Amino acid sequence: MPLNNEQLLDIYYDMVKIRKFEEEVESYKEKGHIQGWIHLSIGQEAANAGVVKALRPSDYKFPDHRGHGESLMCGTDAKLIMAEIFGKATGINRGRGGSMHINDIAVRNMGFNGIQGSTLVTALGTAFASQYKGKDDVSVVFMGDGTLGEGACHESMNLAATWKLPLIYILINNMYAISTRYDLAHPQKQLATWADGYGVPNEIVDGNDVELVYEATQRAADRARRGDGPTLLELMSYRWQGTFDKAEDSKWRPKEEQDAWKDQCPIRRLKDKLLNRSICAEKIAAIEDKVSAEIEDAVKFSVESPDPEPEEALEHVYAGREVER
Amino acid sequence: MSRVISYAEALNEALHQEMEKDENVFILGEDVARMGGEWGVTRGIWSKWPERAKDTALSEQAIVGLACGAAICGLRPVAEMMVADFIAVTYDQLINNAAILHFMFNGQVNCPIVVRAPQGAGSRLAYHHSHIIESWFMNIPGLVIVAPSTPYDAKGLLISAIEENNPVIFLEHKMLYGMEGEVPEEYYALPLFKAEVKREGSDVTVVATQKMLYLALQAAEQLDLDDGVQVEVIDPRTLFPIDKTTIMNSVKKTGKLVIAQEGPKTMGYAAEISAIVAEELFGYLKAPVKRVTSRDVHVSFAAVLEDYIVPKTEQIVQSVKEVLAS
Repeated sequence: MPLNNEQLLDIYYDMVKIRKFEEEVESYKEKGHIQGWIHLSIGQEAANAGVVKALRPSDYKFPDHRGHGESLMCGTDAKLIMAEIFGKATGINRGRGGSMHINDIAVRNMGFNGIQGSTLVTALGTAFASQYKGKDDVSVVFMGDGTLGEGACHESMNLAATWKLPLIYILINNMYAISTRYDLAHPQKQLATWADGYGVPNEIVDGNDVELVYEATQRAADRARRGDGPTLLELMSYRWQGTFDKAEDSKWRPKEEQDAWKDQCPIRRLKDKLLNRSICAEKIAAIEDKVSAEIEDAVKFSVESPDPEPEEALEHVYAGREVER
Repeated sequence: MSRVISYAEALNEALHQEMEKDENVFILGEDVARMGGEWGVTRGIWSKWPERAKDTALSEQAIVGLACGAAICGLRPVAEMMVADFIAVTYDQLINNAAILHFMFNGQVNCPIVVRAPQGAGSRLAYHHSHIIESWFMNIPGLVIVAPSTPYDAKGLLISAIEENNPVIFLEHKMLYGMEGEVPEEYYALPLFKAEVKREGSDVTVVATQKMLYLALQAAEQLDLDDGVQVEVIDPRTLFPIDKTTIMNSVKKTGKLVIAQEGPKTMGYAAEISAIVAEELFGYLKAPVKRVTSRDVHVSFAAVLEDYIVPKTEQIVQSVKEVLAS
């Protein structure tokens, strides 16, 4: 079903929120508040928002390695995600995972994993559990173009297709795994065609058009809920940052290519669409202000939150069992 | 009521009783459903519960990955590796996923999976079907490694492993599948994380598991008959996290320790137990600790080559004598 104006405004809010969130993460990384590696999804907001918006809260979602945006979309409070990235005691997982591992079982964000391809086989299990229990929840696993090099991808799709599991593969093709362009690592011209070998329906979608992403995800989810098995969607998009930070970036990705993709900014494209539908600019600006205030709150909350207690490092290694202190 | 059945039959009975007891239990793996498993351990399950017994492709990553995902949703998967060596293919899922799920969700989810894996030398299957693999996993916090030695333990420990809320690597020894012993027909569970004194003695402690346990018991009989030496034999049953208390209580009493271990000498459970005793019971030791292990080599195919590296009863006897003499 096409999205109405209210729904589009909702999604606009989500996409601006992801953008603003990521900009703050980048800025606080530069200021030294955030340790370790971060993977931002600026430029991929439509691919994040369009997919999750088309799902039900009870569907199982496995964000990819660039998963802040997907995690926000799952419904976890931005404050708790930001605080996790800051490594604070108030983070959704109390600082255990940081930027690369944001998990929230309450909203069925099943966690993103530092090992590429790993969640593709874990997602078989949540999909299997739906089938086993006779529920129509689908499982959705995000992956990148680089992920497809992993052997686990084959094991996953082979089994999901054979058992007709309710599983959707969302392959966000942003063209580069760190520095390696996807056509240097994979023989397919379009990675979606990989699924042909398994008889799995697949679509190539303009990943910067949120409506198209939403509709394709709905089709895939309908199929899965009907018991017709998995689908793969290849969402063509582009990350505006380097894999780790912006400094390293231009070494591998031509500036003209980056500029061309920035011209296809998913947020600007949606904004143009809203304006074309005669939604007034003030309404749009109000959303942007609301997001700014929320994200500023999340940052303030994270900066002011305490570190975890050091001894928490020893907790939750085993269920119902303490480790030796 | 007890009767004599084999180790493989005891495992099979445990699976049937758990399938009966809890509809969240299901089995999956290569040839586990229609055929009943390469070793016959899953026989009869598919015909009773066809929806809960799944033959998979040859996909160890998918088997364990699926198990993890299903476990988060409240199911209790029991996966089989046809032989333990194949577990190397799914190392990522066990180490980076199963072991860490409870931790990464800050205690909000559990990963109650069992991965059954037949290990050990003696079947003339060479180096991709014969290794002892427990030490591949013994420094991975979050995992539980169980290794039953008797039919009675096999049944009771598998039942507990399936009911355990942490991921369990359940190691079966291929050479023990035909071993017979008394096993109660009715359901029973044995405690995980708990070693058992299999033979009491006061002169020297021998720790041994699976096939080595039988060699240790034989050695103990022989030492008793020949020299009146009283050997205490302990079976750890859970190899990781190991039950230090039972082992340490015995060593406090005897002051002497020999550990028998199939598998390479370096970094095995024998090394860990030696370190624990050196660290915590140095003052009690009346002799240096001795390890009787395989060599730091691969398992070969030819019988003479395979048998050459696996510890023998005589080596345990000899080591006990050396410990007693020092």
